[in-house]
Amino acid sequence: MSFDADVIIVGGGLSGLSAGITAVREGLNVILLERGEYSGAKNVSGGRMYVHALKRLIPDALERAPLERPITKETFEIFCDKNRKITFSFEEKDKKNSFSVLRSKFDRWLASEAENLGLLISYSTLVLNAYREGEGITLETNRGTLKAPLIIDASGVTSVVFRLLGLRRFTPDKWMLGVKEIIKTDVNLPENEGEVRTIVGAIKGVKGGGFVYTNKDTLSVGMAVTFDSLPKSEFPAKDLVEAFRERIGIEGEVLEYSAHAIPYYGFKNLPPLYDKNLIAVGDSAGFLINDGFTIRGMDLAIGSGMIAGLAAKKIVESRNFSNTEVYYEMLKDSFVLKHLELAYNRFELINSPSTLSTYPEILCNVLSDMFTVEENRDTLINDVLYRLKEKGIPLSQAVRDLWKAVK
Amino acid sequence: MESSKIVPLLKRLGLNTYNVDKKSHIEVNTDICINCKDKPCTVSCPAGTYEALPDGRIAVHYERCLECGGALVICPFGAIKFRFPEGGISYRYG
Repeated sequence: MSFDADVIIVGGGLSGLSAGITAVREGLNVILLERGEYSGAKNVSGGRMYVHALKRLIPDALERAPLERPITKETFEIFCDKNRKITFSFEEKDKKNSFSVLRSKFDRWLASEAENLGLLISYSTLVLNAYREGEGITLETNRGTLKAPLIIDASGVTSVVFRLLGLRRFTPDKWMLGVKEIIKTDVNLPENEGEVRTIVGAIKGVKGGGFVYTNKDTLSVGMAVTFDSLPKSEFPAKDLVEAFRERIGIEGEVLEYSAHAIPYYGFKNLPPLYDKNLIAVGDSAGFLINDGFTIRGMDLAIGSGMIAGLAAKKIVESRNFSNTEVYYEMLKDSFVLKHLELAYNRFELINSPSTLSTYPEILCNVLSDMFTVEENRDTLINDVLYRLKEKGIPLSQAVRDLWKAVK
Repeated sequence: MESSKIVPLLKRLGLNTYNVDKKSHIEVNTDICINCKDKPCTVSCPAGTYEALPDGRIAVHYERCLECGGALVICPFGAIKFRFPEGGISYRYG
């Protein structure tokens, strides 16, 4: 049986390109299939990348990559109801740990870096079917049939190769819909500053939140909500981002309207990450972290892609293509699975119904009490206990949840 | 109603660059739709691809598709068969 390459990578986004760059550096014979006319044509992300993994992949990336702005200000806004809102900001100037990005520009740049290193990318190439044959996997595409003993599925949340082999079952509670607009506006900030606003409770009925990221001369405005909550939403999916933008009062010309599904599994619910002759990276592996402070997938995509490239080298050298567990072993030792595990307590807490609605309401009630002067006034602790009890939350549960939040 | 200022969906979709396939990449078994009361697909698709018809079936406007992938999870009855199009959308910002 003859193969077309040592490794075929399906998908030319961050994880696929990182895997490709690493595998080519390791001397493997690699083909990458990208269904878009260019890398990034099909990609949407909220728009913030934590750059630690990118710097590992391309050490001088911060000087060369088309990043938008460093994020130097974090703002959280929680709407309790129409009239009451909690806002919290933290500023750290000169910080260069994360940047806003626009993926059509960024991925295109990373693809050209990969091609300069010798990675073969076949664009406008769509995988239509996949099946096991001989000692490998055969991919039927719109441009012909390709075979390899090892496939890296970097096709994004829909995990096309795993799915076609019957290795994925998707449910609407484990996926989020991301909808986003690029808004042309005057950004009144020095060029080395940028803000991320995370906004919860602005639209009722949905489970999730909204965001505003500062780009160079535009804003990325959007929402991410679980698919199973959409039928209960105040607004249908098609109007969600517009309603949100209106409610938070951002005006400007709409330059682009986009949407993308987001994996929302959490460490304990991850789908299979590897199978015989097959490994999953990035969104295809379900790698997304939301720990209440950071929401991230892009660094996990780059990190898991790099690990996949290194694992591919080991697998090719061993000639035992059915044993892909080496990838999982390497992942466990890396920041990717370690951070996912670290985040799990808060991930679970954020997803419990009381966190995003009841607790903010209680907090608003307590704050309102404390900022109100009447003849009757109680101690802070008594007021907290009263407001918890009013919502039917025992103190023991509140303490347990608080403990979960810091653990 | 504050939503009066909302930019209509078709105007927003019109900002995007599409290379529409000749054939639909989405198939809906509309025999199933007839017995589906709530029609969650009509509120869950960000591109308004699925439109309820008076006879209870669903019309598919596949040319609007933003390729988010949600079609794989929004129908509880498995009536939607979805694959990505060969052409489709090309995002300029992403």
